[in-house]
Amino acid sequence: MGGFDFSNHSRNAALHAQGFPLPTATSTGTTIVGCLFDGGVVIAADTRATSGPIVADKNCEKLHFITPQIWCAGAGTAADTEFTTSLISSNLELHSLSTGRQPRVVTCMTMLKQHLFRYQGHIGAYLVVAGCDPTGAHLFTVHAHGSTDKLPYVTMGSGSLAAMSVFETAWKGNMTRQGAVDLCSEAIKAGIFNDLGSGSNVDVCIITPEKATLLRNHITPNEREKKMRDYRFKKGTTAVLNQKIITRADISKYVTVHELDDGTPVAAEKMDVDT
Amino acid sequence: MQPTGMLGEDGIHVDMNHLKKGEVNLGTSIMAINFKDGVILGADSRTTTGAYIANRVTDKLTQVSDTIWCCRSGSAADTQAVADIVQHHLSMYAVTNDEQPTTQTAAAIFQDLCYDNKDQLSAGIIIAGYDHRHGGQVYSLPLGGSLHKQSYAIGGSGSTYIYGYCDSYWKENMTEEGGIAFVKGALSEAIKWDGSSGGVIRMVVLTAKGAVRHLYLPDQAYEGPGKQPKAV
Amino acid sequence: MTSIGTGYDLSNSVFSPDGRNFQVEYAVKAVENGGTAVGIRCKDGVVIALEKLVTSKLMKPNANKRIATVDRHIGVVSSGLVPDGRHFVVRARAEAAEWRKIYKAPIPVHSLADRVGQYVQAHTLYSSVRPFGITAIVGGWDSETEVPVDGQVGSGPSTGAGGKKEGGKHGGPFLYMIEPSGLFWGYYGAATGKGRQTAKSELEKLDLAAGTLTLEQGVKEAARIIYVAHEDSKDKEFELEMTWISSLSGPTKGRHEEVPKEIREEAERLAKKSLDDDDDDEEEEKKDDKMEE
Repeated sequence: MGGFDFSNHSRNAALHAQGFPLPTATSTGTTIVGCLFDGGVVIAADTRATSGPIVADKNCEKLHFITPQIWCAGAGTAADTEFTTSLISSNLELHSLSTGRQPRVVTCMTMLKQHLFRYQGHIGAYLVVAGCDPTGAHLFTVHAHGSTDKLPYVTMGSGSLAAMSVFETAWKGNMTRQGAVDLCSEAIKAGIFNDLGSGSNVDVCIITPEKATLLRNHITPNEREKKMRDYRFKKGTTAVLNQKIITRADISKYVTVHELDDGTPVAAEKMDVDT
Repeated sequence: MQPTGMLGEDGIHVDMNHLKKGEVNLGTSIMAINFKDGVILGADSRTTTGAYIANRVTDKLTQVSDTIWCCRSGSAADTQAVADIVQHHLSMYAVTNDEQPTTQTAAAIFQDLCYDNKDQLSAGIIIAGYDHRHGGQVYSLPLGGSLHKQSYAIGGSGSTYIYGYCDSYWKENMTEEGGIAFVKGALSEAIKWDGSSGGVIRMVVLTAKGAVRHLYLPDQAYEGPGKQPKAV
Repeated sequence: MTSIGTGYDLSNSVFSPDGRNFQVEYAVKAVENGGTAVGIRCKDGVVIALEKLVTSKLMKPNANKRIATVDRHIGVVSSGLVPDGRHFVVRARAEAAEWRKIYKAPIPVHSLADRVGQYVQAHTLYSSVRPFGITAIVGGWDSETEVPVDGQVGSGPSTGAGGKKEGGKHGGPFLYMIEPSGLFWGYYGAATGKGRQTAKSELEKLDLAAGTLTLEQGVKEAARIIYVAHEDSKDKEFELEMTWISSLSGPTKGRHEEVPKEIREEAERLAKKSLDDDDDDEEEEKKDDKMEE
C-alpha cells in the first residue's frame, strides 16, 4: 500500500542500540571567527577541509558570499554550509529586489535561523554572519539547531575554543580596522596550530559600509617548502624483461586507425550546426 | 543515559527530552516576580554547548510585545523560535483588533505552541507582562505545557537551588527596591550553586512607566552598574 | 432603478458603470420585508428584541427561537432571509469558538463583529455566491473584570496584581449592526426589518447616548418599540422574542439569556398599555383642536 515506510528507522535504531555506529557526514573541522570594529566588521576562517582523518582540501574557501555587503563563515557539514548559504543568498537577492531595499544582516540571520530550525539540526550548518547595512555593522552566530547570538566578537567550529582564548585575552573595545583584521588572523592561527581539525591558511573578509574586501590567503603560515631531496628513480632502474611491438596493421584488425597530420593539433570531429 | 542516541536504557523507548547532540542549551536561572508597581524579570547570562560556554553575556529576557516579556530556559533554538512566533502573533493581534494584547493573550499563545509541540520542544518559559487593566502578571509555562499564574515564578536548572531562598524571603507587594534585591539575591545564589548558570544578572522592571533594564556584574559582586539606559 | 435589463445586476462580481453592486442592493430589499428587530445598548447591558411574525397557526408558540447565542456573552438577531440568518449564526459561532481556541478567552464583541463583517463582505465579491439577505444585530457584554486564561492553574498573588491602575473602565455593553454589504457600525440603538423607520425614530427619542437608560427600562422600551413598529402591519400576528446580556453584577451575570417570561410579559403589558394611551392622547388632542377652533 502507499504511504511512508518507517521500518528502516526501527531497524537503524535497533542496530545503533547494538553498538553499530551511525554513518557520519563529511564535516569540516574548522576555525571561524568574527569581530566588530569601529565602522565595520571582519570575519576570518582557516582553509582546511577534512574527511574523517584525511585532509580533503588544503586550501578550501569557508567564507561564503551572501550579498555584496553580507558574508558568512561556515563550519560543520561542508555541503550544508555551502547549500544553505547559497539558498539564503538567492532568497535575499529576490527579497532585496522585491522590496527595493538593501538587504539587512538581521534579515539574513532570521532567514538562516528559520531554515535551520525547520530542519531540527539535521542541516549541520554552523555559521558566523557578518555585514553592513543601513542600520550599521552587525555580527551574529547561527547554530545548526536554529539558535542565534549577537556579540562583538565570536568564534565557531572545532577550533573555536583556541580562537576564543585569543579574543578573550586581546580583545578591546573600539577596535580599528587593522586591529580587528590582526586579531581575527591571530585567532584563526590559534585554531590552525592548536586544533587538529583546522589548518593551512587564513582567509579574511573585511566589510565596511562602502565595500567588502576578501583577503584570500591573507596569511599562509603553512607554505609547503621545496623538497630537500629528489625521490625520482633513475631511468633504467626497473629491468625490462621482455618486449612486444604491436604494428599498426595488427591493431587495424580491431579498431579503425586514422592518420593524423604531422604536428598539427587534432581538430575535433566536425558537427553539423544550424546557422 | 547510555551513549546510544535517543534510545533509553531498554533500547526500545525513546527519550525525547534530552537535548540533541551539539544543541545549544540554556542551562539557566530565570525568574519573574510581581511587586507593588508591576513585575520584574531576571535571568543569568550563560549559554552552554555541553561543557563549553557559547555565550557568557546572553540576553534571556525577550520582548514579545510593547509591555510583555518572557524569560527563556531550555533549548536556545526552541525558545528563540517560540518567542519569535509569539512576537509575530501579538503584533498581528495589535493591528487586527486595534488594541494591545494582554499578558493573558500572550500566555495563551505561548501555551498553545508549547503544549501542541511538547514532543519536539524543550522549552521552559516564564511570561511576565504589565497592562493598566490587569497590572503586572506572572505566568509560568514549564516543560509539559501547563500554564500557572503565580505571584512569582522561578525556572531553569539553577532554580532548584533557590526554592528555599525564595520561599523564606518572598513577600507580596514589595517595593521596587525590595523586588530587585529579592531577584538579585535569589539569582546570585542560583549562579553560585548551579554550574550551568553564570555570568551577569540581567533584569527588566515593567511598570506603568514602561520597561527599564538593569545589569549587575559578577566582578562587582552583582552590585552594579544597575539601571541601564534605554538603548541596550 | 434602471438596472433591470442592463445585465449589471446579474452578478456580484460586476459593477454597474456608476459604481454600484446591484446584487447587494437587492439583498437590502430582502431585509426590508423581514420582521422588525431592535437592539438597545443600555448602561448595564444590552437588550435584543424581535418581532417574530407568525407564519402558521400550526407552529408552537414560543418555539423556533430566532435570537441566537453565539458565545456565552454574545447574542445575534437578524432580519431578512431566515436561512441566511441561520448560516450567519453558524459562522459567528465558529469565529467565537476559534477565538477561544487560540486565545483561551471570550471574543470581544467588536472583534466578532469585525470577523463576521469580513465574512459578509466576502459574499459581495464572488460570482459564485450571493450576498447575505439579512441585516444582523450583534449584542454582547465584554467582561469588566479580569478574565483568566482558560485552563490556567492558580490565580497569582493573594493581594492581587501589582501596579494596577485603579478607576479604569474596561469591558461593558456593545452593540453592532451588520448590513448585507458587510458594512457595520457600533450603535447605541439599532433597528432593522420592516418597521425599522418607526423603531429608529422611537430609539432616537430615548437619548441612549446619555448612557442613563437601565437594562430594566431597556427591556420595556424594546418591547414597546416592537409593538409600535408592528402597528403598520396590525393585521399580522406576531410573537415578541427578547433576550438580554447584563453586567456581571446584573441579572444574567454577563451571559446572553432569554428575558424571563414574567419580565417579558410585564413589558408587553406596558407596551400594549402605552399603545392604548397613545390612541387616547390622539383623541384628546383632537378634542383640544376642536376647542381651539
